[in-house]
Amino acid sequence: MKLVLAGINHRTAPVQLREKLAFRSEEIPAALLDLQTRGAKEALILSTCNRVEVAAALAEDFPPDCLLENLLDNRHDLSWEAVRPHLYLYEDAAAIRHLFRVASSLDSMIVGEPQILGQLKGAYLQAREQGTIGTVLDTVLTRAFTVAKRIRTETDIGQNAVSVSYAAVELAREIFGSLNRKRVLIIGAGKMSEGAARHLLRAGVTEILVTNRTPQRAKQMAEAFRGTVVPYEAFPQRLAEVDIVIASSGVPNYVIKRDLMQQVIEERRNEPMFLIDIAVPRNIEPEVNRIEHAFLYDIDDLQRLAERNLQTRREVAQQAENIVTEEVARLEVRLRARDVTPTILSLQEQLEAIRQEVLLRYRGRLGSLTPEQEEAVEGLTRGIINKIAHGPISEMRRHAAAQGTEDAPQGELISAVRRMFRLRDRPSS
Amino acid sequence: MSVIWLRTAAALYSCGLLYALIYLFWKSTKLFTPALIAFGAGAVLHLVSLVELRLETGHLPINNFYETSSLCAFLIAALFLLLYSYYRVAIFGVCLFPVVFFMTFIGSTEFPVTAWSSPQLRNAWLLVHITTVLIGYAALIVAAVASVYYLLQERQLKSKKLDPASNRLPPLGTLDRIITQAMNAGFVFITIGTVTGVIWAFIENGTKWIFNPQIAFFLFTWVFYLAMIFLRITAGWRGRRIAWLAVSVLGCSIITWVTHLGIRSIWLQ
Repeated sequence: MKLVLAGINHRTAPVQLREKLAFRSEEIPAALLDLQTRGAKEALILSTCNRVEVAAALAEDFPPDCLLENLLDNRHDLSWEAVRPHLYLYEDAAAIRHLFRVASSLDSMIVGEPQILGQLKGAYLQAREQGTIGTVLDTVLTRAFTVAKRIRTETDIGQNAVSVSYAAVELAREIFGSLNRKRVLIIGAGKMSEGAARHLLRAGVTEILVTNRTPQRAKQMAEAFRGTVVPYEAFPQRLAEVDIVIASSGVPNYVIKRDLMQQVIEERRNEPMFLIDIAVPRNIEPEVNRIEHAFLYDIDDLQRLAERNLQTRREVAQQAENIVTEEVARLEVRLRARDVTPTILSLQEQLEAIRQEVLLRYRGRLGSLTPEQEEAVEGLTRGIINKIAHGPISEMRRHAAAQGTEDAPQGELISAVRRMFRLRDRPSS
Repeated sequence: MSVIWLRTAAALYSCGLLYALIYLFWKSTKLFTPALIAFGAGAVLHLVSLVELRLETGHLPINNFYETSSLCAFLIAALFLLLYSYYRVAIFGVCLFPVVFFMTFIGSTEFPVTAWSSPQLRNAWLLVHITTVLIGYAALIVAAVASVYYLLQERQLKSKKLDPASNRLPPLGTLDRIITQAMNAGFVFITIGTVTGVIWAFIENGTKWIFNPQIAFFLFTWVFYLAMIFLRITAGWRGRRIAWLAVSVLGCSIITWVTHLGIRSIWLQ
């Protein structure tokens, strides 16, 4: 049996294609069963906004292309020709590596983002419900979850901020701890402030106030975030109520000056305040950062922080890749050892059957034996078959573990052993 | 007779102290009215005691430290009640209730009481005093360490050199909560420790206790601590200023502790 993984992701295919190929959650059970009827022994479908992947365990001689082509048959408006150039196909070790990398978010658009592990677990549960998870996928996926966890604990992969707005959220956390029950004032409704606001909301901020020189834009944005509009002229009076200020208005001068902030901090009785100035030209007087308990960061500060994080994240990702390599090697050895297990078992059974048969034939001629003699005959015959089996068994095990480093195809040794000892085919587990 | 009134007044004032401690933890002002009533009743009895003393001795009771302390406490209490009736500023109570209580309490120790009823009680009393004070110190150390962390974290955030990936300091908000809680807990324990300590010294040394420099320093530390708590609550002091205060109070506490190193020998007497 071999493990095959095929799919497209955010790097290989544009969103137009991804969205066409994507499976809705309720379509997956039928698709899994479909894969099974078309010859896949085991199957799993992972479909997220950044990737669509199919993992399957197939018989050694089953061509994976055939399976995928069939899968596409059901997707109207998609031709094999259109998908093919964007598709990647991995087998065995490469497929395991890919799954490990996906699970630990090394293959994600934002490396280290935590959602993908949950999505993969969801896909696994869904496939298990449909009964399309067997030993191969089960072993690989459970291992993938462990590897992802290991990478998360042993490296700092999940800890860094990548984008500017995410850096802002991280900083807010460094200041306030939890962002629960914190209020945000957005001065100037624009794309940048929108991104930051979205991140802050996700991080637990409770209330968003929006102010803009043109009230309509403020209203739109406030609606999008279920926030409140503050009239532009009135925002200085509301400053003391908010903990975080995001300024990104197109006004060419400072809208928040040092004197104003000094008053605000006094009014807040020294409760810390975080000011994010992502406007160019800047909206908040830089001197504000000199006020105790006011923390002002402009776009350059945030960018520098985000870049430094990207740098460390690259280093961290390298550590994680090393863990993946190590884990793939470890799992491969285990899987290969399992490949020879059926042969070893049937070899032992075969020899035991011969022993029983011969013993039955000659036992009559030995006459009556004392229990000690009885035991000696048992030991003698068993000893002979064990000695005979020892050579082939240890040779097969050694070969299985060493494969990949030596280029002797393992299949040949196994079939040679099977032929030599006349082993019958056992149904594979 | 006047000392009985004075002691009752001190007991009533202690309700105010209790209110202040409750306010520290739950920011609840619900108990302010009962505390104010007890405080007012205390002030009335205090006045009765002062008038009685005046009639007994024939002059204003400012003969010695105890009488002065008591009179001063009464004046503060009266002033507070007057201010409150005009401006309704309850927040001063958090600071003044404990002060008035302590000064009256000190004033009420003018006449020595009979010694300990049993040595077990004496030892148990000393044990309570030492344990509460030590718990208070432990909380104070936590507050001081958290304050130093606060300063470091604040400096990193200000200098914009903060790297969330390598930063192992807790967020400012968390540190601030730790400082508040540790300081409040420390204050409660040190206050209990102070009351028990003063009573112990009073019973042990009679009227001479007030001249004991160890105790004077201990009281000074307590007042310093009270000032710190009060500034934090009313003026919202945090960051640099509260960190320095916390470290200074800790320094005072260490000095107090050093002066008490001989305490074991007293215990074993």
